[in-house]
Amino acid sequence: MIFAVFATVAVVAAAWIIHLDRVVTQQFQGRHWSVPAHVYAAPLELYAGAPISADDLEEELRRVHYRRGDPAGGPGLYRRVGNAFDIQTRRVRFIDEQRDAQLVSIHADASSVTSMRQIDGADLPVFRLDPPVIGSVFPIHGEDRLVLSPEEIPTLLRKGIKLIEDRRFDEHHGVDTLGVLRAVWVNLRAGRVVQGGSTLTQQLVKNYFLTDAQTFDRKATEAVMALRLEAHYSKDEILVAYLNEVFLGQDGERAIHGFGLGSEFYFAKPLGELDAGELALLIGLVKGPSYYDPRRHPDRALARRNLVLKGFADAHLIEANAAQRAAAAPLGLRPGGGSYVPAYIDLVRRHLKRDYAEADLAAAGLSVYTSLDPRAQAAAERALARDLQRLDAKAAARGGHLQGAVIVAEPNSGDVVAVVGGRETDTAGTFNRALDARRPIGSLVKPAVYLTALESGRYTAASLIEDAPIEMKLPDGSIWAPQNFEHNVNGSVTLAKALAESLNLATVKLGMDLGLSKVADTLQSLGLDSSTALNPSMLLGTVEMTPLEVVQVYTSLANGGFRARLRAVRAVVDEQGRPLRQFKVQVEPAAPPAAVYQLVRMLMLVPTHGTARAAAARLPRGLVIAGKTGTSSDTRDSWFAGFTGSYLSVVWVGYDDNRVTGLTGAAGALPVWADTMASLKPVSFEPIAPDSAEDRWIGFDDGLETTPACNPSAVVIGVPKNTVLARNPRCNPSQPPSVGDKIKSWFDRIVH
Amino acid sequence: MAPLAALMLAGCAASLRTSPSPEISTRPSSASPNAPTPELPPEVPRPAPAPREFRLSPATQSLVAQAHTLQGRGDLPGASSTLDRALRIEPSNPLLWIELGRIRLVEGDAHQAEVCGRKALALASSDQRALSGAGHLLADALRTQGRNQEASEVESRW
Repeated sequence: MIFAVFATVAVVAAAWIIHLDRVVTQQFQGRHWSVPAHVYAAPLELYAGAPISADDLEEELRRVHYRRGDPAGGPGLYRRVGNAFDIQTRRVRFIDEQRDAQLVSIHADASSVTSMRQIDGADLPVFRLDPPVIGSVFPIHGEDRLVLSPEEIPTLLRKGIKLIEDRRFDEHHGVDTLGVLRAVWVNLRAGRVVQGGSTLTQQLVKNYFLTDAQTFDRKATEAVMALRLEAHYSKDEILVAYLNEVFLGQDGERAIHGFGLGSEFYFAKPLGELDAGELALLIGLVKGPSYYDPRRHPDRALARRNLVLKGFADAHLIEANAAQRAAAAPLGLRPGGGSYVPAYIDLVRRHLKRDYAEADLAAAGLSVYTSLDPRAQAAAERALARDLQRLDAKAAARGGHLQGAVIVAEPNSGDVVAVVGGRETDTAGTFNRALDARRPIGSLVKPAVYLTALESGRYTAASLIEDAPIEMKLPDGSIWAPQNFEHNVNGSVTLAKALAESLNLATVKLGMDLGLSKVADTLQSLGLDSSTALNPSMLLGTVEMTPLEVVQVYTSLANGGFRARLRAVRAVVDEQGRPLRQFKVQVEPAAPPAAVYQLVRMLMLVPTHGTARAAAARLPRGLVIAGKTGTSSDTRDSWFAGFTGSYLSVVWVGYDDNRVTGLTGAAGALPVWADTMASLKPVSFEPIAPDSAEDRWIGFDDGLETTPACNPSAVVIGVPKNTVLARNPRCNPSQPPSVGDKIKSWFDRIVH
Repeated sequence: MAPLAALMLAGCAASLRTSPSPEISTRPSSASPNAPTPELPPEVPRPAPAPREFRLSPATQSLVAQAHTLQGRGDLPGASSTLDRALRIEPSNPLLWIELGRIRLVEGDAHQAEVCGRKALALASSDQRALSGAGHLLADALRTQGRNQEASEVESRW
């Protein structure tokens, strides 16, 4: 009888152990070997004339972890003498080539690259730096982690973590009986729990397979699993997995797992660049990431770090005076705006999911090459944080926490170069407003109305329309009576002025004349995916869009009537360097180039004569831009969408709970837009008139063709070639001609 | 010299405008009570953008040469992403869009080649060489799609 009971217990126990063994091997194996894809930002292209100053170049070299030194000494070293750089580049893989290490010499001045050559004197017309790593994704389950390979782990971390967390790691078999006994003894003497007996292996098992419940049952399971794990895998494999798995803190809703991500999260540096003090802080965090949170409890974190440093010195891992020096240093947390870009990675992940088969992405060692421009990303993050802080302070009475989103794109290629999903830029897993905040776009819709008008051939920018009170009976019987923002009425106005000043009444009149479905069609061909409800109020922007959708629509305008497919991912390349699939620049006709040219000429008047005049003060003098402000009803949403000659950017500012902000597009979003652009060394937007269009001067108010000499308020508009515009009668030849006119008439005489 | 050139061009533009196109009425009849008569002589000078003559910078020229080499080796994806690089440096250069369209044709993507041709045409402004290169590309792309009549029309224009 007793034997039978024993036998049953033994069989059950054996079955249980076999079951746990299987769980351990299957899950650990799967997790352990799933190497994440490395994600790269776009490499910086250098060429004579590239707008990269000498200081920029040094910053970019540091971004890809080049160090000062004798470049002959090996790859990754550079020497800077004044504005001249000698660099030995690393062997590096791009989408289209594997480039060997090479020695190059680059000169730059205070604004741009002036010359480049190879050290042996050979020509070097164009050269790209290494693409910076911006993260790792498991493309399928979508976690982002910076998974470390064994050779990426600093020796001090290997030794230090064992010293602090599991001194007998190299001796035990997963469970440290001696350690447990010692912990029990220490705890008994202290009368409270001061030491845990968990080995690294047990902690790993706990993280991998188990919940947090502190039951005996769980303890036993943990112990058995730890023993089985040790039976199957080497100490080094377990240590590496532990360092990649351990929980190091909380970032909003997202858990920071692993030292690779921890290093980026707390210090914005790769693990290999951390000094002893920084490593000590991370190692110290393992004991209680929340209790020792260095941002919330810097005093506790500092004390803990210094205790770990003392441990390092006592165990002779570092010199005693080095430990003292490190202990005297501040925590050195990153100021924010580092290389960690969760909002952008979010878009990368969505594009991967959209464009690739899951099976393709399961391969190990993939490289994902993205369009991210780290400088644009940092500029947008900085501008949003700073301007929202200023706006919050101004609206202190409202007591809210303004939010915002910024996307920067290159309109010709469709490359999305920066995505900021909110003020708290290092927060992943939270609401990515750039991609997901669907809001009424207000007057950002108006260019679609005016483009429809220009396309119809019945209007030019000089045509006059009525800005007068409107009342409309809607299908539900209610009366709709829109108002201008200023509650004024302007009478007869040019299209150019109505758009620049964003006049609601004139726009509704125009839109109703064109037909709502025509305007909706225009929106769709510009790139809006969803359909639009055909209410008259759509003409004033009740249509809701995400910032990303607005980018798609405005790309077609900035791109002269061609819609470029937005892309965050340029290519995915497998371990052998073969492109899995490549995303070519893909362009489709969206609207007639001549009509778009006329519209864009009108959008250039918004910053000079219209609602975006405030931008100039924040931009380099004389910079030509085009764009449109947008404000939704009661100022709940503040928008600006616009472009320079370099980039297109869309900014949204508002409250998450949709409260009234009191901010127009010009007051809220425009400063963020302008500050972002200003720090990107923008070049002026230069619209190119297609062969079928030409420029004219008209009076901004009266629409009559004129000259700047005759009418100081003359503005340039685009019109179809050979359009006859009504002339300003005061600007006739009887008027004393200017010097230019004299030369011209002389020229005309000799030509005829 | 430049302003003079601009004025000269303005003069040319004005004197060439002999037959105004009739289909565009610039203002609704009701809108403008004081509309001046359109018979005023075409004396008003016009804004005259400097004529453009597109060429490749040394950087993009070397990338185009590299793309040709890759294409010669049959590495079309390599050639394509090398032109991508060039376009990132000079996104508004019609000559690069023509190069890209030529690669698309070789890749067998006549539709994208056509769009590249149209994009190049829109960017070429008044540069005859670029206009003609873009026109030829567009015509070839149309012909590949069996749209021979459109192709001939395009060819006769540029």
